[in-house]
Amino acid sequence: MDARFTTMLVRFLKFLGDRPITPDSPLHELGLDSMQAIELLFAIEDMFGVTLSDEELHDATFATAGSLWNAVAALLTAGGVDADQVDAA
Amino acid sequence: MTTSAANPATTAPGIPGIQQRVAKVAAVAAEHLSRTDREAVFPVEALDEMRDTGLLALLVPVRYGGLGGGLRDLIDAGIALGRVDMSVAMIFVMHCQQVAAVVRYGGRPLCSELLPEIAAGRGYLASVTTEAGKGGHLLSAESALTRGEGQLFIDRFAPIVTGGEHADGFLITMQSPDALSPNQMSLVYGRRDQLTLRRSGDWQPLGMRASHSVALHLTGQVPEHQLVGKHGDFRTIAGTVFVPLAHLGWSACWLGTAAGALSRVLKLLRSPEYRNKANLDSELLLSRISQARRRLDVVRAMLEHTHRMVCETEDLSPPRVQLMLNALKITAADECYTAVDSLVETVGMRHGYLKDSPTRLEQALRDLRSAALNYSNDRLHLADGRLALLDQEVRFA
Repeated sequence: MDARFTTMLVRFLKFLGDRPITPDSPLHELGLDSMQAIELLFAIEDMFGVTLSDEELHDATFATAGSLWNAVAALLTAGGVDADQVDAA
Repeated sequence: MTTSAANPATTAPGIPGIQQRVAKVAAVAAEHLSRTDREAVFPVEALDEMRDTGLLALLVPVRYGGLGGGLRDLIDAGIALGRVDMSVAMIFVMHCQQVAAVVRYGGRPLCSELLPEIAAGRGYLASVTTEAGKGGHLLSAESALTRGEGQLFIDRFAPIVTGGEHADGFLITMQSPDALSPNQMSLVYGRRDQLTLRRSGDWQPLGMRASHSVALHLTGQVPEHQLVGKHGDFRTIAGTVFVPLAHLGWSACWLGTAAGALSRVLKLLRSPEYRNKANLDSELLLSRISQARRRLDVVRAMLEHTHRMVCETEDLSPPRVQLMLNALKITAADECYTAVDSLVETVGMRHGYLKDSPTRLEQALRDLRSAALNYSNDRLHLADGRLALLDQEVRFA
């Protein structure tokens, strides 16, 4: 996962505490509520310049940090950006 | 995909005898409703009839001795009972919601123990989801479940438990053992004899008086197999069973209550003694009846559409699906109340406002006033506003 992505996620996860964010980190359990989903989407758009389609906005996408990053990374790849490059940035 | 996401036991409608069983319960409810409303006591006679007729096991699969009914039957029963007594109807659909959760997410040992008990009429289930200080949030809990030596330890206060003093068992939401946060919740079944119950406070509400929704403090321990679903996974149960069945079931009850009220008003207007006194050509009267009827037809159409959507949709989590489920609840609550309120205007003080009128509008209005508060419409509108922003193409479910 991209470091900027995990850093950005932290402010939505009020119950994260000192734990590191891993691909398996469960977003709802760590404090992301449905009320914040729109703010999180805006943050992703601003940071990566990609927009998740309406079709991707279901529970499975928001289940874990990894599932959400996969959706973002797929858009970056489709847009010609190498997700690994982003990771290294 | 035709299997119901909310209820895998969905069957073709028309299981023999369901209507008759519902009619028997409705008849008993009718017999006692003025007293249960006046005294704000639980309708034990109607509950006994649900036990005796097997209706408590409407959603219990046939292999466990139940009726094997599905959502269609639940909705029809909610409407039919709601026509007579909204408290009885709500008690019934909320019990069915608990049963559906056990059927879908209970492990085999729990299903083998509990479901035959329900089928035998000994398993009326109440729901313990409210918690002081969390403002009705379904998906968080402060009280934590603890575990040790194969047991789960329950210590939970709930400000509102409908039928809590009469339930044979409870489905209780609690924070999971070793939870990362209050959002990580488990659902656990507790049999009445496994728990110590302490009731506090009085029950003197405006309406829904027979639902007898008391504050309870529950403590006790249960074997680990009484966990429903996985630890930390109540969110899934809520999304697939609790919320869809609540919104469909409640809306059915409210529609039934308003339909019963309208029906009684129409019968009054058409009665020989009334039709000679009233001016049935009055444009105001006709317009008001039309509006009330239209409101109920809108709710009915939404209920049918949402029912079909729930049966045909595998994943109920996308915003457009959630929006539809919430729209049903909000609209049914508002429109059913408004329809009955307008009927009060229509027939006036004698038959609209006094307790002893055969229209029973006075009680229907008080009961329906709870609909917008029963999981608050205000809260749902807030959620819906955000969900709508997530569906910028505005695709309908």
